[in-house]
Amino acid sequence: MIPRAETAHWVAGALSLFFGLVLISELIVGREVFYRRKWRAYLFPSLVIASSVGLWVITIFSTFSTMHLLAHSIWAQAALVAGAVELALARGKIARPAWSLVPAFALLVSGMAFLVHEQNPWLYSRSAFLHHAIGWMLVVVALFPLGRAVQPGRLVWRSGYALTFVALAVLLFADRDAAEIFGRFGLGGP
Amino acid sequence: MTLRRALVIGALVALLVPAAASAHVTLVSAEPVTQSRVDVPPTEVRLTFNGPVTISPNAVRVLAPDGTLVSGPARTEEGGHVVVAPVSGLVDGRGYTVRWRVIGSDGHSPAGVFTFGVGIAAPAPTDAVGASGTTWRDDLARWGVFGALALLMGPLVVRLVVVRGSVPPQLERLFHVVAVVSAFLVIDIGIAAFVLRASNALQVPIADLPYADLQPFAEKTRFGLAFLAMTLGFGVVAALLLVAWVLDRLVLRWPALILSLVLISGLSLSGHQATEPNAAPLAELADWLHLVAASIWVGGVATLAFLVWPLAPSVRRAAFLRFARLAVGLVAVLVLAGAYLAVVRLPALSDLWTTEYGRFLLLKSALAAFALSFGAVHHLVVRPRLEAGGEPDVGPSLAGEATVAFAVLLAAAILTNLAPPPIDAGPTSTAPTSARSTR
Repeated sequence: MIPRAETAHWVAGALSLFFGLVLISELIVGREVFYRRKWRAYLFPSLVIASSVGLWVITIFSTFSTMHLLAHSIWAQAALVAGAVELALARGKIARPAWSLVPAFALLVSGMAFLVHEQNPWLYSRSAFLHHAIGWMLVVVALFPLGRAVQPGRLVWRSGYALTFVALAVLLFADRDAAEIFGRFGLGGP
Repeated sequence: MTLRRALVIGALVALLVPAAASAHVTLVSAEPVTQSRVDVPPTEVRLTFNGPVTISPNAVRVLAPDGTLVSGPARTEEGGHVVVAPVSGLVDGRGYTVRWRVIGSDGHSPAGVFTFGVGIAAPAPTDAVGASGTTWRDDLARWGVFGALALLMGPLVVRLVVVRGSVPPQLERLFHVVAVVSAFLVIDIGIAAFVLRASNALQVPIADLPYADLQPFAEKTRFGLAFLAMTLGFGVVAALLLVAWVLDRLVLRWPALILSLVLISGLSLSGHQATEPNAAPLAELADWLHLVAASIWVGGVATLAFLVWPLAPSVRRAAFLRFARLAVGLVAVLVLAGAYLAVVRLPALSDLWTTEYGRFLLLKSALAAFALSFGAVHHLVVRPRLEAGGEPDVGPSLAGEATVAFAVLLAAAILTNLAPPPIDAGPTSTAPTSARSTR
């Protein structure tokens, strides 16, 4: 009943790359041009909400491990809430920059879930390394939406937020557990 | 320009990363097959994983029904992908429990339990050697699920059926907030209930629980399958409710309500009415109706008491009167379905006082009668006054009814986790009267 993990990681990585592309496109052409078509404003948040439903599907396939079940459910809920807030901001239903704290919190919680669900140290294996890398990256990049909440006009926060998804895509494409690039340096490995 | 360059580099790196690797280590197959019947006693148990594993000699333990170890030291084969444990002395007509724990090449330490039967059907995972029944923690978790379901159904039904016109913005916002938060609570408490139940049933030690393989419980029990369907379904419900809030589309709450009503059946299809020897579709339907009516009644009263009455003076009179009419039907369904289920579950009248299940059913019925007495006062005393143009302060008594109703849900949660008396037992049943359900 379990799909191959790398298939799920590829899909997640591809989605994350697409999220990054959409946000970077908006940065390059400017919000005024990008929002000439209303659907473009809704594209990123709608996809994040849709991805949360996809994450629920992965969640129910993750009963092979309690921690994976919990971690995937946290990611699904974080994506759903963050996507809904982004959609509400795009639609103008909410306007206060402080709402950007919600995506910041979602990234923080997602990063912590990555760190907690990995039981081994950084150099134990490739997957351990990448789980730590993704976890800490998500914790750190929570600063971008946090900065957007404080200084909504500054390009650096929006750029960082957009590039976060590209970086996440790279790491997810690389996250194939026991690949040999980092070997098995830790104790207890085969 | 910098951003474009970063994008191109990022995409190239992503595409160039090697693809060869393995997944998180999980059990792919087993011989004997998990939860299977074999006709010839096996001489070994073979576990195949999707990646190389390392093991200790007691990585695989095969246990007879009395707990006797019938397996020898385990070894790995095929580059560590297969773990083999020799077994001996297996007897026809018995069920055996396999407990395993390995270390994956990714460092995770998955563990799991499954059973197989020699010449008989495999015992349920919950009947594995060492499996235990429910505890007070399961009762609390079940209560949490019931309560969250009521708090989800309440605002939805009140807003869609009872208060259909415009409402004050603050009330509208709270309808959204309570429904969304409750949907998340249904999911999260449901996950907690599942993990608790699975760890008890499979008797996974706390140290192994984080990476325990819960699949046998998730996929081989009705409880587990219902959990999977409800988790996914209520994830969709939460998404629908959030989108309904963002887009101000009240109509999107209809699919959320209908989907929730359907998903509640997961509890009925995995409860006593579906698993006892005399389980029948009619009893499952009655259980579902009982649950739906209870959720709407409890949630609706709570919504009226804590949201509509204090926050919307302009609509509360109409809301109360409309809900009072709806409540008559709900209570009728609740009582009729409950009475039918009591008759089905209790073979003899004396089971009401001679078994723990029966005594808890009496307690629940008494609490329900107390809660319904509030409803009777509301219906027979308050409603005529409101219809006559009076302004009775019904808020405190609505809050009282809601509080007692949540106590009824607690009794229902405990009752759900208790094993009903055996169906083939007579009025003087000698079955254990404190048995906890081990489903």
